[in-house]
Amino acid sequence: MTITGEIRSSKRRSGPPRLKITSLEVLCGILVLALLFQSRLVDLLDVPKLRTASTVFVAICVQAMPFLVLGVLISGAIAAFVPASALRRLLPSKTALAVPVAGVAGVALPGCECASVPVARRLMQQGVAPAVALTFLLAAPAVNPIVLVSTAVAFNDTPMMVVARFVGSLLTAMVMGWLWVRFGKMEWIAERALARLGDHSGQNKWAVFAESARHDLVDAGGFLVLGGLFAAAFKTFVPVAWMQTLGGQIVLGVLVMAFLAVILALCSEADAFVAVAFSALPLLPRLVFLVVGPAVDVKLIALQAGAFGKSFAFRFAPATFVVAILCAVVTGVVLL
Amino acid sequence: MRRETQNILLVLLGGALLKISFSGLYLRYVQKGLLPLLIAAGTIMIGLAVFAIVQDIRRAKAAAEGDHDGHDGHDGDEQQHSHSHSSRSTWLMLLPVMAVFLISPPALGGDVVSSAADTNQTQRSRNLLGELPSGDVIPLSMTEFVTRTAWDESGTLDNRRVKLTGFLTRADSDTFVARLAISCCAADARPLKVRLTGDVPALPNEQWVELTGKVVPKSASEKNSWVPSFTVESSTSVAEPVEPYES
Repeated sequence: MTITGEIRSSKRRSGPPRLKITSLEVLCGILVLALLFQSRLVDLLDVPKLRTASTVFVAICVQAMPFLVLGVLISGAIAAFVPASALRRLLPSKTALAVPVAGVAGVALPGCECASVPVARRLMQQGVAPAVALTFLLAAPAVNPIVLVSTAVAFNDTPMMVVARFVGSLLTAMVMGWLWVRFGKMEWIAERALARLGDHSGQNKWAVFAESARHDLVDAGGFLVLGGLFAAAFKTFVPVAWMQTLGGQIVLGVLVMAFLAVILALCSEADAFVAVAFSALPLLPRLVFLVVGPAVDVKLIALQAGAFGKSFAFRFAPATFVVAILCAVVTGVVLL
Repeated sequence: MRRETQNILLVLLGGALLKISFSGLYLRYVQKGLLPLLIAAGTIMIGLAVFAIVQDIRRAKAAAEGDHDGHDGHDGDEQQHSHSHSSRSTWLMLLPVMAVFLISPPALGGDVVSSAADTNQTQRSRNLLGELPSGDVIPLSMTEFVTRTAWDESGTLDNRRVKLTGFLTRADSDTFVARLAISCCAADARPLKVRLTGDVPALPNEQWVELTGKVVPKSASEKNSWVPSFTVESSTSVAEPVEPYES
């Protein structure tokens, strides 16, 4: 898509009025073209595979949007109503000690992974140490009560699965936090992620709230859609059924389920129902699926790349992937 | 991207969410419990955008009045710049909008059934296997029918006449009635299949049908991936239900 609008519109509008193409005109153009060629577009998509992909794409976007909205509202509220000093007082001053606190605090955000990305970024902007914010980012989607309850409902025959999921995910989040304390570099995180919105002192707090939420929503919305596109493509064109048959072997099963968790990008509130349906597999690979899914998946990688920059996401996601598999395997061997 | 364009995109996206909510089309994509969340999300999106638009207009007016007073209106411009650096990715928000308004993708169907694992994925669930209701014809969900044939060894279904609702699919020389079950959204859909025997309806694939008949006792086994057989006695073609998925 063209970005002429962006470049032109950043110039000061001065001098005599002349015809300028800004993003606004581009948008109108696209909409008019889409309306004109609507029937052509529908025909083009009238292939079973593409139809399935488009349905899955819309489904993922529709399902995730409410949680993203919840996330940006919380993020906006933190920006407007929680001064940085209050956050500092709440958390232990030593980062290594604050990491487990942040992990357990994840219990309080009843959403899936889309909600936690904007909140984690806002925490960083408010001066919370990145390791602490990242632990929260990984823990919140996996250990909150809604996810645990839905896991318990799905695995009603094996209640230990709920405990194992909780421990495995919390462990993953804390290990990643501590790894960041030890090895993380600030320059991996894009500058714009940490730049605070202009000085709002003097402005109405509700206006700050609305503007921060709107800004985060516009920022993250596109990346969520991108993640949805990837997940829909994988879901439709990767032979999932064939991969399940590979899962009979325990080592292969663990790796296959971890990989599936990444490409299917399921909401953490629903993945337990999918995991329980892989009834041919032993419990351990299914636990890996539940621990990896909320921590790394294509939708989440896209959101992270948007919020923190590419060079962050391409280091953080693979590291989380490995750590999550290890934590899940250790937890599973001990508890299941 | 300009702030104005961002706001319009937000209104469109929120509008798309509200449209599928109120038209009932959301049932093609997510389970019905999400409806209040969808309406809230759509309303909030539109609200945030409208609030920003109103603020911008007020600010522009104030800046214009400031100009008359001899100021150069620099404040307003700076405000605008600090927020308009959002990335190109925001354009992608147009895709779900166009998908919903122009294409309106259908509910998942036969394509998913034929490409999914060739098995009925059921779970043993004690509370589901209660007594069957009495009556001549018992309407059963596909989930319950398949679960009972796979897990209930006492044969409560044998010789009972049941009614199933689903769509037809074919593989090799067999005809199946199938339905998808979702727990959150269509991305986690899992298929439920029943092989048909007896008076198999000669209708095209993907046609929704109501079938009355009886289970072939002990027809679901591990060898055939827990797909039971069903002797069709009568069938009627029906329109796609408003709620295409079971949950």
